[in-house]
Amino acid sequence: MEAKPSTANLVDKIVVPGDVVLDLSSMTNQTIKLGGGLRQECDSVSVIKAGKLRFSKPNKYWVESSQKRYVPCVEDTVLGIVVDCKADNFFVDIRGPTIAFLPVLAFEGGTRRNIPKFEIGSLLYVRVVKANPGMNPELSCTDASGKAAEFGLLKDGYMFETSTGLSRMLLSSPTCPVLEELGKQLSFEIAVGLNGRVNAESPSTVVLVSNAIMNSESLSAVQQKIMVDKLLQRIK
Amino acid sequence: MDTRLANTWRLTVNEKRFIETALSSGIRIDGRNPFEYRKLSIKFGREDGSSEVQLGQTHIMGFVTGQLVQPYRDRPNEGTLSIFTEFSPMADPSFETGRPSESAVELGRIVDRGLRESRAVDTESLCVLAGKLVWAIRIDLHILDNGGNLVDAANIAALASLLTFRRPECSLGGEDDLEVIVHPPEEREPLPLIIHHLPIAVTFGFFSSESLLVIDPTHHEEAVMVGKMTATLNANGDVCAIQKPGGEGVLQSVIMQCLRLASRMASDITKKIKDAVETYNTERALRKIKRHPTSITLDGSVNLKEKLNEPSGHNVVNELSRKHLEKPRLASAENASSPGNNGEGESKSSNFGRSSRRDGATSNFVGGAASWDPYSRGVDSDFLKASLASRGTLTPKKKQQDPTGERKPNESKPEESPGDVIPTTSAMDVSETGVHKGGEKTLKDAVKPKHKRKKKAFSSTADAS
Repeated sequence: MEAKPSTANLVDKIVVPGDVVLDLSSMTNQTIKLGGGLRQECDSVSVIKAGKLRFSKPNKYWVESSQKRYVPCVEDTVLGIVVDCKADNFFVDIRGPTIAFLPVLAFEGGTRRNIPKFEIGSLLYVRVVKANPGMNPELSCTDASGKAAEFGLLKDGYMFETSTGLSRMLLSSPTCPVLEELGKQLSFEIAVGLNGRVNAESPSTVVLVSNAIMNSESLSAVQQKIMVDKLLQRIK
Repeated sequence: MDTRLANTWRLTVNEKRFIETALSSGIRIDGRNPFEYRKLSIKFGREDGSSEVQLGQTHIMGFVTGQLVQPYRDRPNEGTLSIFTEFSPMADPSFETGRPSESAVELGRIVDRGLRESRAVDTESLCVLAGKLVWAIRIDLHILDNGGNLVDAANIAALASLLTFRRPECSLGGEDDLEVIVHPPEEREPLPLIIHHLPIAVTFGFFSSESLLVIDPTHHEEAVMVGKMTATLNANGDVCAIQKPGGEGVLQSVIMQCLRLASRMASDITKKIKDAVETYNTERALRKIKRHPTSITLDGSVNLKEKLNEPSGHNVVNELSRKHLEKPRLASAENASSPGNNGEGESKSSNFGRSSRRDGATSNFVGGAASWDPYSRGVDSDFLKASLASRGTLTPKKKQQDPTGERKPNESKPEESPGDVIPTTSAMDVSETGVHKGGEKTLKDAVKPKHKRKKKAFSSTADAS
């Protein structure tokens, strides 16, 4: 590959598989973290998934795209459904190509004596610890330092599925317009997983919230505001 | 195996609990009423007898085809109807290729029972030669997307494609009238099936608490519900079939309530199907006429095609029926088969001036033989003159087409008429505008601006019930 564009040009631009993003021979003594969609080949880092290239300080690069399928990535927080319980692991479905394993001890203060009991079909908020291609991903219900940090079983609410792009938008900061508008009038709680699953909980308006979020997939900020206004007016 | 495990759709405990609690306060997750259907859209393909139905997220295609076969021994006078379903794996991760699952067989059976036992499709009219040859109608239903309630959508797809299916016309010929000639569509207009009424399937879902009832369950609701029932009724209020495959028991009063609800839904859906079929038929007729190459603008009036697009099918035919008295009837041109005729017609029509133009004409009447003639290779003008003169007295009627098959008595007419008269009274399709090609100077006088053509009163289209 002759042309090696400098990284600054490609960040936040659409890239396709095959594009070379970084030339490592020119960067020495640096640690670079590669997220999803990028692969290192000898001295260059190339793209293996089409999407937008993102960079976050100090040294993390990844490719973002929106699909219905989720590709597990380390350090992603996702919503999983318990499929089975085995001696060492819970089998958890995170909407990826394979079932993920959640070790029974991966909870805060988890020992062999107090293994939690989840029934089949329970919804968990978990973090991806290992995600190598071809292997079943591994999950954990603690954050990096071992604390519970809100991970674990989600008791109530209604779960629905969206695309990965929409869930990323819901998690972005500043708050995405849909959530902002809805929050002005209603009170609700949502748990968003990067695998496209969202669990919404509210005493009375779950259906409204879930439909508003699902409809905001392809709308711009202004359109989202208008859509939410119309929905809220209808129930008044 | 692992991928299948990963791909299966699962219901969470949260969802199950939520759907049930929401239903007890009358709220459904997509915001519908408990007794409300999702948005129904019916589309048709280019070919006759193919339909595509979308009921919310559920997406089903139906195809109807016909074949000539030997009848069953115990029913030598009746045609056959068979239904095949294809549950494509792209519709749902739980569908697999190969042997149909129990629910696939059940779906086929429900649709089949609704059509066969209620005798909605008239099988006796499908007989060509008693004991030897009958039409076997085959309905193929392809499930493209499973968003819940496949039965209802499949039923609608089957009905829509049956209503728009056209089978080739057959006549007996040869020696002893024992040889069956199947006429290609260019020669003779294919005929619709005779359908007496439309049986509509309405599915109900029962939930664990008593008296929780929904109509048209979505995929999620189907996973949560504990029992279901499908009632097939028609718009007249006749119950054609009821299917309740196990599940929770329900009270007799609940069943009666369901039947009452179902009859209301059935009339709504029947109306929607009929409207869609009618627009399709109008479009089909217009398509035929658009293909007609001649659009005479000699009198400077608006181009044929524009005129055709304005009025609806009904208006067109009403105008025709109003203005015609006796004119040899020539049905709408299926031009593909008669290029020679077209050329002839064209040249002749250009001689006409405004003879074939009507005020606000919605169809162009060009003198010439109909393209449905068996003699469509080209007719010489002298022959035409003679025949037209005799034709004028013989066949004054232009038959209007009706899906309930009034064609049958009409079709026998051409056979009866003397051999040298061109059987131009082939049937016309519903709401079709007649394109008349008269190539003769002799017609010119007859074909004045006030076209007097006698027509049967145009009966309302697509009234199959």
